[in-house]
Amino acid sequence: MAEQRKRQPKVCDYYKNEDQFSPGVAFCAGCALELNLRFISRVLGKDIIFVGTPSCSAPVLHGQNAAAWHRHGYYACTMTGVASSASGLTRYYQKAGIDATVVCHTGDGCAQDVGFQTLSGAAERNEKMIYITYDNEGYMNTGIQQSSATPFGASTSTTPSGSASRGKTTGSKNMPLVMAMHDIPYVATATLSHLEDYAKKLVKAKEKAKEGFVYLHVFCPCVVGWRIPVDSSIQVCRAAVRTNYFPLWEVDEDGYRVTQPVKDPRPVGELTGMLGKFKHLRDEELAILQGQVDHRFKVLQALCAGSA
Amino acid sequence: MTVALDRQRKVITGNAAAAYAAMLCRPDVVAAYPITPQSEVIEQLAKFHADGDLDCEYVTVEGENSAQNVVCAATMAGGRAFTATSSYGLVYMYDAMFNTAGYRAPVVMINVNREPPGIHAVCSGQQDMISVRDTGWVQLIVEDCQEILDTTIMAFRLAEDHDIQLPVIVNYDGYYLSFLAESVEIPAIAEVDAYLEVLKSQPSRPRLIPGEPLGCGSHGIGMGYVELRKKHMAAMERVKPKLEEIDREFVQAFGRSYGGQVEEYRTEDADIVLVTSGSAVGTARTVVDAKRDEGVKVGLVKLRLYRPFPVERLSSALAGKKAIGVLDRSICFGWDCGPLYMETLAVTPRIGVIPMLSFIDGLANMDITQEHISRMIDDIHGASRGLPYQEVTWLP
Repeated sequence: MAEQRKRQPKVCDYYKNEDQFSPGVAFCAGCALELNLRFISRVLGKDIIFVGTPSCSAPVLHGQNAAAWHRHGYYACTMTGVASSASGLTRYYQKAGIDATVVCHTGDGCAQDVGFQTLSGAAERNEKMIYITYDNEGYMNTGIQQSSATPFGASTSTTPSGSASRGKTTGSKNMPLVMAMHDIPYVATATLSHLEDYAKKLVKAKEKAKEGFVYLHVFCPCVVGWRIPVDSSIQVCRAAVRTNYFPLWEVDEDGYRVTQPVKDPRPVGELTGMLGKFKHLRDEELAILQGQVDHRFKVLQALCAGSA
Repeated sequence: MTVALDRQRKVITGNAAAAYAAMLCRPDVVAAYPITPQSEVIEQLAKFHADGDLDCEYVTVEGENSAQNVVCAATMAGGRAFTATSSYGLVYMYDAMFNTAGYRAPVVMINVNREPPGIHAVCSGQQDMISVRDTGWVQLIVEDCQEILDTTIMAFRLAEDHDIQLPVIVNYDGYYLSFLAESVEIPAIAEVDAYLEVLKSQPSRPRLIPGEPLGCGSHGIGMGYVELRKKHMAAMERVKPKLEEIDREFVQAFGRSYGGQVEEYRTEDADIVLVTSGSAVGTARTVVDAKRDEGVKVGLVKLRLYRPFPVERLSSALAGKKAIGVLDRSICFGWDCGPLYMETLAVTPRIGVIPMLSFIDGLANMDITQEHISRMIDDIHGASRGLPYQEVTWLP
């Protein structure tokens, strides 16, 4: 009888390092961030220097008095100062000949709104670092307020659905594409339902950060803010990919490509139907959102075709 | 190499003097964003860098807020860092300034005094430096181009001292000093290296580098927070004797002294004293001499250290005087007087209640003239003789 060997998922090949985070961490039950941080830690290794800011990741990424939740070096700063602080670190390391990988880890509110100027500036200067945005589509740590990453129609605490208005009235910024327009060495999107894809991108990011600025945009559901069951984050990620709501792509010196092509994309309603923040959505509003998803994917396809 | 790095005497502007000083101190990281009247500082540094005279990472940031974050982080990684700004730029980095001071990051920053936003003005005034007085930074103000250069060198010595570890601003009046060309003695770079060498033998401070699990910017919880605040305050207080010590070292190394926290000019036998800061001190010296020739026993106290406030030195300079005037190049909202005046008033318990007069002059590049200072001294003199006086006077 042939030996039945339990085959490990391929992503385990990327787990080169020990998880540097403590066994218990102060994240919400089911929060995608816990997986995100432990994953980054295991794939990139303990010598990365995190740069963080007030956000959902702050209670874990930053210490409390003289204690910490992990053993990585970290630098915490104001939301307005993430990419600039990281620039100060990476520039000094270069001057001093210190081999270091600086990893900014912020939410969409910081990256796309209040910290955007400094992020754009650092990218324009092609500073050597990896900037990871975990996109939970709002300011979640402060109580689920909208950000420029909140999609059209979503109900948040500052765009609630009521009788006079029904959720966010504008679409989100296409942030990964905005960053791609800075012509930096590497930009990619990733999510937690496709860990092997994410791992490859992290490894590539580390290499590319030796040349210049790397931007990764990671779709991270928020259990509390999106009103989903605590055990459903991964399914939500998978639905985001399968509906082309959040396509997984990358761009480098060889051009744009979709790394996880979806053969028959599902209607975005299959994603929004899972999320409490969209439960008020009418058919005509859903159609607008679908139109935005389709348009955005068309632009991506054109860029991919243009690079071929 | 185009710039001679030996000792030399050159006619240079205040801005150029600041740039020379920064270059001579060999910063690892310089963050640069232009703003009138500072721009020449960073332009000169860019030239030094481009010509190979300044081996640093020159970061052309997209805004002053970023400039502050760049230099703060660079020092936390263990480097020496420098930036320069003014007015709108200074207040734009307001949130980052709290970060730098709270982290005890030894950043050195030039601030070329200019009026801040509110009434749009591209001109001299000290309101910018007043508006950031509670950020926890050390603040110095200087009188002329030589002092700009010398004090900037001293600022690195002070900021990075193991007992201090606080960021330092060197302020100088925009237009009056930024664009004024004076004969300045520029030390040899080897002399500056020797002056700063003492820092290398001090215990090293923690630095954020890979392989050493160290966090910078932890949440301060309860007494953890209180402890850090108390320590910061204590470090501020240590700046006062340290500045005196540094001034003595500077005299030994370069032959020039500025008196430390304050300079007292003809105060010993004076009945009345005028207190002021910055470029107006030069004018005030001339008028004090003229008044002395007329028989008025007037002295001058030049305030060099603004934060921490030189309470002890000022008290000892003012004790026993019959009346004091304080000339401010800014205003103190909420107290209807000048800010340096208001802080000088606070030394009253140490010197007793005597007539104190506030003079507000020099806002928006309006010249503080000899005639103005003459009037101020007349008012202080009148007050000292028991004549009725106006507590706050706006000039002209």
